[in-house]
Amino acid sequence: MLSFHANNHLDRRSLMKGLLTTAGGLAVANWGALTHSQTIAQEARRSGKRCIMLYMEGGVSQIDTFDMKPGRPTAGPFLPIQTNVNGIQVCEYLPNIARHADKLAIIRSMRTQSVDHGIGGYHMHTCYPSSQRFPHPEIGAMVAKYCENPDNDLPSFVKIGSESGIYGAGYLGPQFEPFVVSDDGRLPGFANPSVSPEIQDRRGELLNFMEQRFAQQRPGDPFAAHRTSELRTIRLMRARRTFDVSEEWTRARSRYGDSNFGRACFTALKLVEAGVSFVEAAHGGYDGHNDNFPTHKANLQVLDPAWASLLQDLQERGLLRDTLVVWTSEFGRTPAINFQAGRDHFGRAWTIVLAGGGIRGGQHYGASNRDGFEVQENPVNEGDLFATIYRTMGINHRVRHYLGARPIWATPEGSRPIQQLLG
Amino acid sequence: MTRFALSILVLACGGPFLAAQPAPFADAKVIHTLPWNSNVISAVAFIGNDKVAAGNKHGDILIWNLPARGGDKLDPVRRLIGHTGEINRLLVTPDGKTLISASNDRTVKYWDVLSDAGEPGKVVLNDGAPLKGVVEKVAKIPDPPPPYEVKVVVQKPIKELSGHKEWIQGLAQSPDGKRLVSGDDQGVIIVWDLPAGKEIQRWQCKHWVRSLAISPDGKTVAVSQHVPGRNKLLVPPSFHFWDADTGKMKVDLTKEITGGMSAVAYSPDGKWLAMCRGNVELEGPTGKVTLLDPSTGKKIRELTPPHTRGANDIAFHPDGKHLFSAGRDQLVKIWQLEDGKFVRDLGKFVDRSFWITSISISPDGRHLAAADDNGRKVVIYSLVGKSTP
Repeated sequence: MLSFHANNHLDRRSLMKGLLTTAGGLAVANWGALTHSQTIAQEARRSGKRCIMLYMEGGVSQIDTFDMKPGRPTAGPFLPIQTNVNGIQVCEYLPNIARHADKLAIIRSMRTQSVDHGIGGYHMHTCYPSSQRFPHPEIGAMVAKYCENPDNDLPSFVKIGSESGIYGAGYLGPQFEPFVVSDDGRLPGFANPSVSPEIQDRRGELLNFMEQRFAQQRPGDPFAAHRTSELRTIRLMRARRTFDVSEEWTRARSRYGDSNFGRACFTALKLVEAGVSFVEAAHGGYDGHNDNFPTHKANLQVLDPAWASLLQDLQERGLLRDTLVVWTSEFGRTPAINFQAGRDHFGRAWTIVLAGGGIRGGQHYGASNRDGFEVQENPVNEGDLFATIYRTMGINHRVRHYLGARPIWATPEGSRPIQQLLG
Repeated sequence: MTRFALSILVLACGGPFLAAQPAPFADAKVIHTLPWNSNVISAVAFIGNDKVAAGNKHGDILIWNLPARGGDKLDPVRRLIGHTGEINRLLVTPDGKTLISASNDRTVKYWDVLSDAGEPGKVVLNDGAPLKGVVEKVAKIPDPPPPYEVKVVVQKPIKELSGHKEWIQGLAQSPDGKRLVSGDDQGVIIVWDLPAGKEIQRWQCKHWVRSLAISPDGKTVAVSQHVPGRNKLLVPPSFHFWDADTGKMKVDLTKEITGGMSAVAYSPDGKWLAMCRGNVELEGPTGKVTLLDPSTGKKIRELTPPHTRGANDIAFHPDGKHLFSAGRDQLVKIWQLEDGKFVRDLGKFVDRSFWITSISISPDGRHLAAADDNGRKVVIYSLVGKSTP
């Protein structure tokens, strides 16, 4: 049952503003917030927070990374190693991350509902189940809306590679759709203009003139959103050199690892440094139904130097305090090892790691039981995780938007930030 | 003579003759099942003609004595302790005295298989964890039968080779028992003086060594390198011949041989080099078995039909005429070397199911041991009968 307080009562004016009436008389969605979201955005922007999401596509095994069960039948072949924090151990193939454990908040009690790739990807990007048939925005769009710097020429939401899925800006509107670049962070070919900068500028001016004429005749948020997107694209063309990290990459490659994911993490660093609000970098290949262990080992050897170097560089450049780094996936993997030396999809007790952005590092939150089949303490669901992330970013996790007249909240009712993790 | 009359003549004269020449291994059948039911059995090896050793992903190795006749319930008699990681390869020296194991614990260990001396101990069979927690895509499997305890002799290794710093997937010996070669996931290959356990040569490859073989003259090491990936190999697989004395590359066959090989083997007579594609599961008939010229690396033929979803192991039969392969389709396939003809399957085809992870043929060629993931057991086939010399 939804209830409204007096100060955010849905009055007639808001309702009418929330409805965009077409010539045919049908009410369609009005993109954007209606109530206090502009104020929230100003607050969030002042915080200067940014977020990098490292998404492990396929479902990453918690027991073979941060919730190891040495000596138990579910253990697998990997051994735990000590980190720079007493009491925190990680997989032996995360030796570089082990040196940054003081920055990590390891949530070992994720209990999530959607345990197949499509629905799990949607749920872990939006914190809502896909079955709701609502165009929920993915987390990058939400962060872009509230944390973007409107004066920045770069897109506010960049996705490096599409391996983790593209779920879109939903009801927030097209201006917050992800700008997708290739797996290694390079811009797509069409972003390289075939004409000189002078000609580009003249074309831009002409387009601007035409758009202004068009806008005078057709006022409305969708058209405004479209124009905003277009103008941002033009500005992006001016700022595209930010995506070209080739020169610095030759020096960074040995630390990040000579891999697409390594380069993606380095590009993410450069983008948040340049003011991009949200960058998502995907690392694929964790769906270990068979041969889980050698493939997982190969993946960690790519992940470990890239992630650790990203944390190191963020810290050295003074960016870690305001940059939240989220290590996540669509679900975890079964503690039981199946008969094909694999682990299957599992949502009952798995692990997500947060670092930076004001998160209190050097701690575990929650726990799974002895063999890892169930959460033993402090269960965390999708909404709680997103509430924690939004709170860290300075966004009200219960901010309300409208799809037509229907209110939608950034996180489901009952979602609570994990206070123990907040700095 | 009409075609009909010719047929009558063939049936009258040739029929009885053909009936007396059944296909080789037509009478092959399971004679023993050695239950373990603890963890995936990852390696198996005959010790002489009447003992079998098997190693699992926990790092345990058990030895069973095989009676002359089948049908009895068989329990293991020895337990070899010392490894702390998955047993990837087992082999027995040509003199039959030593079992050699390679493991994820980064060691190679030697075991005295002739001695019965050891401490009294026990092993619990059927102690495998039920496969609960499996939520989709894989059918729920019944829990193993109740655990039971068996008294065994516990033995420790007589030698340990500790030159590797990563999981050791490659292990092979020369037929004269003088050289041992091992390869790991860091790309390090070491040639050992086998009896002494001393390093002779070592070299560094670019990627993970996932399977290797040493030529019968001990001079060439054939190596398959690849890094396993989920949907695609993270780096392109490669295949090379290396000089065992100098560690220099002799032949690069990367362009000719595509795919990562899960097993490579020279025939004891040196006529053939066989390999099977696997190591990471790929949909469809991807478990190809290939025969090469061992001196040039030139492909002689690909054996068809391949295993479904990948092949795990290969073994030459001592008759010098047949090759056996084990796959992820729960089958052991038998092939004729001379013409590449498929002889028969052992087992029943099941797609997306249990694997045969490893095979070994007894020195007299009369038995085959297959590590069967269905029940995590070792199955012993008799290969003899009217059909097999």
